[in-house]
Amino acid sequence: MKTFLSKIYIIGFMVLTLGFMALIWKVTFHQIIVEYQNRKKSEQITDMRKEKERLSADPTFQSAIMEGEERVKHYLGYRVLEDTRIEGHFHHIDFNVIPDKGSYCITCHGDIPHDKSKELRAFANMHASFIACQTCHIRLEGEKRTGVFKWYARGTGEITDSPVKEGVLPGRYQAKIIPFENENGRLQRMDNPERMLFAAEFKKKEPELSELQKTKARKIIHNIVSKQPHICEDCHQQQAPILPFKELGYPEKRVNAFISTEVIGMIKNYTKFYMPRMLHPGQADDGSTPSGDK
Amino acid sequence: MPKAACRFLVTLWGFICLFLICAPSVSFCADIGNCLLCHKYPGLSRVDENGKLRLLYINEAIFNTSMHAKVKCEGCHPDIQKIPHDPAKKVDCLIQCHIVEPSSEQKFSHKDVAEFLKKSVHSPLDADGKPKPFPEDFPDCKKCHDNPLYRPMSFNKMMLPGISVTALGRCRVCHKKDDFIYQFYNHVTTRLRRSRNPKNIAESCARCHDNPILMKRHNLSTKAVYSYGESFHGKAATFLDERIPDCLDCHVNPGESVHQMLGYKNPQSAVSAQNKGRICANAECHPSATPKMAEYKVHAEFNLNQSPVRYYFTVFFIALTGGTLLPLMGIIFLDCLRRLFPNTVLIQRKKKHE
Repeated sequence: MKTFLSKIYIIGFMVLTLGFMALIWKVTFHQIIVEYQNRKKSEQITDMRKEKERLSADPTFQSAIMEGEERVKHYLGYRVLEDTRIEGHFHHIDFNVIPDKGSYCITCHGDIPHDKSKELRAFANMHASFIACQTCHIRLEGEKRTGVFKWYARGTGEITDSPVKEGVLPGRYQAKIIPFENENGRLQRMDNPERMLFAAEFKKKEPELSELQKTKARKIIHNIVSKQPHICEDCHQQQAPILPFKELGYPEKRVNAFISTEVIGMIKNYTKFYMPRMLHPGQADDGSTPSGDK
Repeated sequence: MPKAACRFLVTLWGFICLFLICAPSVSFCADIGNCLLCHKYPGLSRVDENGKLRLLYINEAIFNTSMHAKVKCEGCHPDIQKIPHDPAKKVDCLIQCHIVEPSSEQKFSHKDVAEFLKKSVHSPLDADGKPKPFPEDFPDCKKCHDNPLYRPMSFNKMMLPGISVTALGRCRVCHKKDDFIYQFYNHVTTRLRRSRNPKNIAESCARCHDNPILMKRHNLSTKAVYSYGESFHGKAATFLDERIPDCLDCHVNPGESVHQMLGYKNPQSAVSAQNKGRICANAECHPSATPKMAEYKVHAEFNLNQSPVRYYFTVFFIALTGGTLLPLMGIIFLDCLRRLFPNTVLIQRKKKHE
């Protein structure tokens, strides 16, 4: 026992020594290397400077995509507000969304995929932050339809408890709602392992595939997608909403809000109502039609 | 009046006071146009045609603790006149918003800031009104500012906004509207000192002044904020000291707008050769300092191009320290290894008779 303890002591001491060596390296010779690298980088920039026009006109991949993910802590004294800094964004958001590692759709389509409909894109993207793509884009009919929906964790993809029940504030859910289908009498997630594996393999082998092979793969991946996705009123209605709000953990107050006049009215009148005239005293109502009026 | 009734009235009065204290914190909102009907939803967003993320969510609670809490949405976004609206145009910070400036009783605007900025080293135009090289690099409002948040006076309160209930009681003697009292209290107490922590100020300046590309384009010889971080001032700022000087304290003449920052070659600049001694000897900093103190290189950097003498001097001490301590640690490590495996031999020596 004594020998064992002394060995542990020696190992601990060795680890400590290695730690000190790393620290000494970092504050001494590593500094010289960093300075040298910075000087080289600076010389490269001097060369780039000669290409003044090109620098100004073309955003590089680095400047356009990789930069702008800076985290900022605002020290307010009574609290620290931590935000992701988005270049040119003025308002503070005060929430973080971790990447959805459970979804195979977003590996191609991204986290903010909706862009086509000017009236709906921002709302659809908002819903995409807590609803899996399959929830709206697959209409389960007949035997396939189960009416079962559950939450899955964005980080792991595993089925998890309702964040709403746990008191997580809206917008901070680290989970999404996924539908379940009936497969030969068995309840299974729409993003079952076979589909995920197929999509992952396609993504991996895509650069090697011919255009025809890519088309085939895409068709197979999307063959469960409905031509017409569910629309807002399919859930925001009082009679038979697609999502079982209560089973998903929403309290009655929130459910009432989803199917309230505020939300349903907004959807119905979205293309018709205007900012109240009282906000612009002295201005005549010119009767112009809103751009989104269809 | 019976005692029970008196007690009831006192309790009721207590509840009313409590309500008045608590309620205003949620009633600042300037959302008369009901924009939050849509914009209250987290995740409301899109990626625009230029690949930029447009985050359309407004966090009402945070917004209500900001200096723009009383400004209506359309005060900054006047192009939005209907719902649904077209993509909002870029906000012009210099427009007149709907707030009335109390001393002039005119609609408020940030136009004066733009005037200060024009005269400063950060103006994209030179003294003759011609564009400087790379004018796009010079900061606009949002490059340095996001929505400034209130940091009320009682800074040592760590859990709640530092609002003094006693002070509010004094306000209520004359002023009747609690919304006004809270807003005024927050505004004045925040404005009595810097509205951002020195570390936040330094981070903001660093976005340009530590950017190697921008530094090269504009012939800046030092990574200003990095070197500040290496100084005593910067170290204290890293530990969130509120009293330590930040970039603005040294680079702006006392009493002037921070937007009126001048280059060090300008004789009127706070950091010009003739003025910087006075900045250090400020009554709040080093009142007994002589002008010689300002000769200390605040932005000294470990950089061969900046100062070869300082560079080789530092390299010598780095080599001395590392060259002594690293072998010492190596010997200790090898000694431990021998103690762990006392009889292990990696390479067998050949016996002589073989």
